[in-house]
This record gives sequence, C-alpha cells and structure tokens, in this order.
Amino acid sequence: MNLKSMLCTTALVAAAATAANAQSDWSLSEAAAPYAGTTIDVVFLLRPGYEAIKEMLPEFTEATGINVNIIDHPYENALGEQVRDFVAGGDLDIALIDLVWIGNFAENEWIVPVDDIMAKFPELVDPDLNMDDFFPLVLNAFGGWNDTIYGLPFDNYSGLMFYNRCMLEEAGFDGPPETWAELKDVYGPALTGDGKYAFALQSKRNETQSADSFARMLWPFGGSFLDENFRSNLLSEESQAGLNFRQDLMQYMPDGIVAWDHAETVNGFAQGDVAMITEWSSFYSSVVDPDTSRVTDCVGIAPEPAGPAGRRPALGGFSLAVASQADEAEQAAAWLFIQWATSADNAVEYLERGGVPARQSAYDDPALAETYTFIPALLESWAEGVPEFRPRFAEWPEISEVVQEWGTRMMLGEVSVEEGAREIGTRMEAILEASGYYDGDRPLVQ
Amino acid sequence: MRDKTSGRTIFAFIGPSVIALALIGIAPLLYAAWTSLHFFNLTRLRQLRFVGLENYQTVLTDTAFWQAMGRTFFLLGTSLPLQLALGLGIALVLHQPGLTVVKTLCRLSLVLPMATTYAVVGLLGQVMFNQNFGVVNQLLGGADINWIGDPTNAFVMIIFWDVWQWTPFVALVLLAGLTMVPNEVEEAARLETKSWWVILRHVQLPFLVPGLVAVLILRTADTLKLFDMVFTLTRGGPGASTEFISLMIQRVGFRAFDQGLASAQAIILLAITIVLAQIYIRVFYKEV
Repeated sequence: MNLKSMLCTTALVAAAATAANAQSDWSLSEAAAPYAGTTIDVVFLLRPGYEAIKEMLPEFTEATGINVNIIDHPYENALGEQVRDFVAGGDLDIALIDLVWIGNFAENEWIVPVDDIMAKFPELVDPDLNMDDFFPLVLNAFGGWNDTIYGLPFDNYSGLMFYNRCMLEEAGFDGPPETWAELKDVYGPALTGDGKYAFALQSKRNETQSADSFARMLWPFGGSFLDENFRSNLLSEESQAGLNFRQDLMQYMPDGIVAWDHAETVNGFAQGDVAMITEWSSFYSSVVDPDTSRVTDCVGIAPEPAGPAGRRPALGGFSLAVASQADEAEQAAAWLFIQWATSADNAVEYLERGGVPARQSAYDDPALAETYTFIPALLESWAEGVPEFRPRFAEWPEISEVVQEWGTRMMLGEVSVEEGAREIGTRMEAILEASGYYDGDRPLVQ
Repeated sequence: MRDKTSGRTIFAFIGPSVIALALIGIAPLLYAAWTSLHFFNLTRLRQLRFVGLENYQTVLTDTAFWQAMGRTFFLLGTSLPLQLALGLGIALVLHQPGLTVVKTLCRLSLVLPMATTYAVVGLLGQVMFNQNFGVVNQLLGGADINWIGDPTNAFVMIIFWDVWQWTPFVALVLLAGLTMVPNEVEEAARLETKSWWVILRHVQLPFLVPGLVAVLILRTADTLKLFDMVFTLTRGGPGASTEFISLMIQRVGFRAFDQGLASAQAIILLAITIVLAQIYIRVFYKEV
C-alpha cells in the first residue's frame, strides 16, 4: 500500500464516520458529554507550539468538561519518559510522537491506529475532521507508519533558512544564498569577521547533532543513512561530499559550534552575531519577538539552500495519538482532544498564538503570509521534504546515539570524516542486524 | 522457650533493617544481574531473550566503555589530589587557635558547595563558562576561551567544579580528624619543634588516616557515579570528551534503551568499585 492508498483508506473511514455525524448535527459538547470529568494525561514540550495550545485549552475544557493534565518535559527527556510510562503501563493517555519515534511506538502497539479509534467511537468523529486537509507529506511522516495512520500532526516543523537581511545588505547581497555551495564560497567569507559569523549549524551532541547537523548535510548532496538494502550509505560519494562540506563550512561558524543547541543558535542569530541559520520553523516567534530578539526588523526567511541533489530541507514535527493503555473513557476523551487540537477550525488561532498547523486550509488566506513571513518558505519546504530524513524505525534512538558521538568527533577532527562514517555505518548495521532486518524477518521500512 | 523468645527479639531488632536492605539494595541488584544476562531493550521487548554472558562480552571488548572508564579514573586522579591538598590546607588553617567566630562562619560557608544540587552546579557552569557572556571569561580580562565546546577545556571545567564542590567536604573531614589529636600531645610537639611539617607528619597525620581512607572511598565512589553535574553541563561532550562511565551507562540504558547492556556495564562498574574499596582499606589501614 502506498502513501496515497493509505491516506485514502483513512480518509474513507473518516468520511463514513463523519457523514453519519454530519446528519445528526454533531457538536463537541454533546459528543463529549458522556466523558465530562475524565482526565487525560499527555506529555508536552517546552516550545511555542505547546504554549499556544495551552492558551487555547480552557476553551476545550469548558466545552467538554474533559481535563487535560499536561506534563511538561524538555525534548531530550520526552522520549524516555513516554517509553518508561508505556512499558510500565502508566498513566499517559495520549502519545506525543516525534516523527522518528513513530515506528517505535507503532511496532510496540503503544498507540491505536486512527481507523480503529474512529471505528470504536464513530459518534465522536467530527464531521469536519477532513483528513485530506492535512498536508499529505506531514500526515504520512509524522503520523503514519507502515501503511497505517496513528497520529494527527500537531506541532509541525520544516527546516528554514533565517537570514539577517540587514547584515546581508551591508555586505552587498540582495538576498539569501540559493545553494549550499554559494553560502560557503560567497557568503561565508564576506560575512565572517570581527566577532560575526556567516552561519551557525546547531550541532550539540544530542538529537540536534544527528538531525539538525548530520542529516541536514546528507540529503541535499544526494546522500542518506541507508541504501535500499538497509546497508550503510554513509561511505557513498554523495554522503561523503555532504559530510566533508560540513567540515569546510565550519570555518564560517562560531567556535565551539559542537556545543551549540537550538537555544544558542537562535540566540546567536537574534543577537545579530550570526547572519544565517537553518532552524525549525517553530522558532519564528522567537526571532521576531522584540523581547527576545535584537534583529526583529531584519529577519528574512527562505527555504533551506539547495545542494547538488536539490533542496532537501530538514523535516521534523510531532503527532498526537491515542494510547492503547488508556481505558475506554480516556481513549474517547483523548481522541476528542486530539481532534480538537488539530482541527481546521482552530488552525488559524493556533498559528496566531505561535503554533504551526498542518492544515492546508489554514494557509488559504494570502494575508496571513504577510504577517507570518515564514509561511511561503514552509509550504515550499513541505512540498520537497523527505519523510525518511531520519529513519523512523524503532532502532533510531540507538542509532542516533551513535551518530551523535561520532558525528561530533568528526566535527572536532578527532576522527576523519571517512573514519567516522565507517564507524557509524558499522555500528548502525550491527544494530539493524540484531533487529533481524538482514534475515528477512522484518520489512525494510523506514 | 527462652531461645525461641530470644530469636524473635533479635529478629524484631534487626529484621526491619534486613528486609529494607533486601528490598532497597539487594532486589534491584539481583534484577540488574538478571537483566544483564538478557537482550532487554525497552523499545523491543518482544525480542527479550536469554543471551548468557554476551552483554558482558560486548562490554569488556567495547573500546568506548574502557575509554569512558579511563576518563573517569583520569578525573579521579586529577581532582582528588587537588581536593586533598586544598582540603588539608583549609583544615590546617581552621585548626589554628583564635578567631573563633570567623572560623565558625568559614565552617558554615564550607557546607554551601556541598549542599548545592549537582544539576544546579551544571547549570551554573553553563552560564558562568559561556564563551560570550560568561563571568569566567570576563574575570580573565575578556578572554575568548571556548570552555564548553573544546574537549580539553570542557574537561578542565569539570575538574574545576568537582574540586569546588567537594574540597569543603575533604576539609571538614580532615578538620574533624585534627580535632581528635590530644591537645597535650600537639602542644608537646610544638615545644619540641617549630616545623609544621614535622608536626603534621608525625603527630597529626596518624589521626587523619581514617578520615583520608573514608574520603578516598567516598570520593572514588562519587566520581564513578558522577552524573548530574556533567549531564547538565556538557552532556558528555563535546564528542565523548566528558563522557564518564555513569553517563555512558545512562546513555545506553535510557537513551538507547538497552537495559541488558547497561546492566552489564553497571555490574562491572560495581565489581571495580568493590575491588578498589578493598584495596584502599587493606593498603591504608595498615598504617593506622
């Protein structure tokens, strides 16, 4: 089953359920009435998209009587907390799923497919759910695994280039670089000096290193983590070109870039020390907020530069799915919350409060793009993103740890790019072999 | 009858402690030993299976494990002598007669670093050693030293914080040892010689040895367990330059979710700790 047919199946189930409810004049309050007083538990991150939904939450609680208990975690702790909770049969009723966790959560059956939920609670399906309204790439990558949709996209990102228009103009440029090569060879020398840097690539040794730094340099150059046989592709000419490019580009980055996480990178840009960064769209609100940024009037946003293989922007984001460990009332309440939080009706408000919705209809109004200048670049990126930007299978957390260590050591020059890539490849294949991918026991799905 | 009653009484006294110890200490240890003999990955529980000593073999042949172990002992070998030297110096100063109020205040202030939560120390370190805005570079005359992003500097920073936090502990333990020296013995020694070194070596040091052994054992165990401060400060980076053994075990167990391998690492670490403690006791207690 391909993406199109998978989405069609879910859309058909949704259509059947919504048609029945449309005739019965469905309302959230009435649908939720049997579950009033139910409390559902969910992990949230400390990011703008989550603050946005928190601000909107009283409206949901008032309409439904359902209480949402939010447990805040930094990103780095969110996976561990949820895995331990699901393994122990804990309290979480909703899973917050980064796109690289979806295979893990789905294969362990910690989450319930959307079709099953809609079949179980047909009276709860919003007639306006409209699954076709989600960007197909985003719905598939964030919420889909192995031909099944589990979660609805909630906190959605694409990698974008944030550039300081004033610094670029001062250096004689009338726009951002179109290609990575141009960034390094033309913009790099012109914008680096006197304590200022042309570019900063967040590369701290955590998921930032594997996703934001390492993977970002593979795809535009035609590289990838795995080939079609699930063997390491890191020693291919294309992957090596990308990783070597990263080493060359470091001369135009601040010292100690291997210790820079998102906060340092966004701050470096917001303080005017760095002319260009490639960061998640969700940081838009931070760089245009006068309370946190000195460059609000100079912020320009463009899609990430293209490499020899084209534009392959970083793709990241989260979906919300109903947890299988929740009891029936909690599952029902959880579904109502997920449906509400990701609904087309709430999408524009969510955007205005700092979130990034995955609803196509939310971006229909051209006036929004004038206010939220990241929108055109975001939509262009979502048209060209790669779902397997990072493999989404259950083994990714283990592989990511390997990439984080050796990717950082490469950048520090402790090992050569080739040695580091070989080490990562060997360890990555050992992990995949232990999981049975090479015995034909498991489908080569990423 | 008397014997039976006596047995119950004995059990009533020691039973709760034994049960608590078994539940809190022994049971998790046995569970870790069981886990270490299995392929036990939290994200792949369906593949749970007995693998014998395979995890131990993996650990013992893993260069990264031994590098982390070496790094940990290097930290111990650099920070502990500094803590002992500085701690002894502080203890000797506070042991001098006079200035009672000042000394009391000093003793109290010595507790502050120890009372600071490890994670807070790490966060303080992030702010103070920030390359652009940190107070440390400001104090160094506006130096542009990259502390957190440079492998060597990051290691130096960890040593600094470890010494800052634990020198007071060493000082207080040694000060307690100095107060054990009988006044008349110390005064008699001062009449015999003016050399502070002779007094320290032949009069005070014998009373300090039990405290020093305790410090050695506790600080060795603490260093082997060192986690929170480094995790919040460098997260083991850059690269693997500050990945000490406990960070590695946490990474394998809770970020890669391989509980079996992490348990094998932890049990090997436990064995090393026990052996070291035995060596300390046998070598140093001989001198008492």
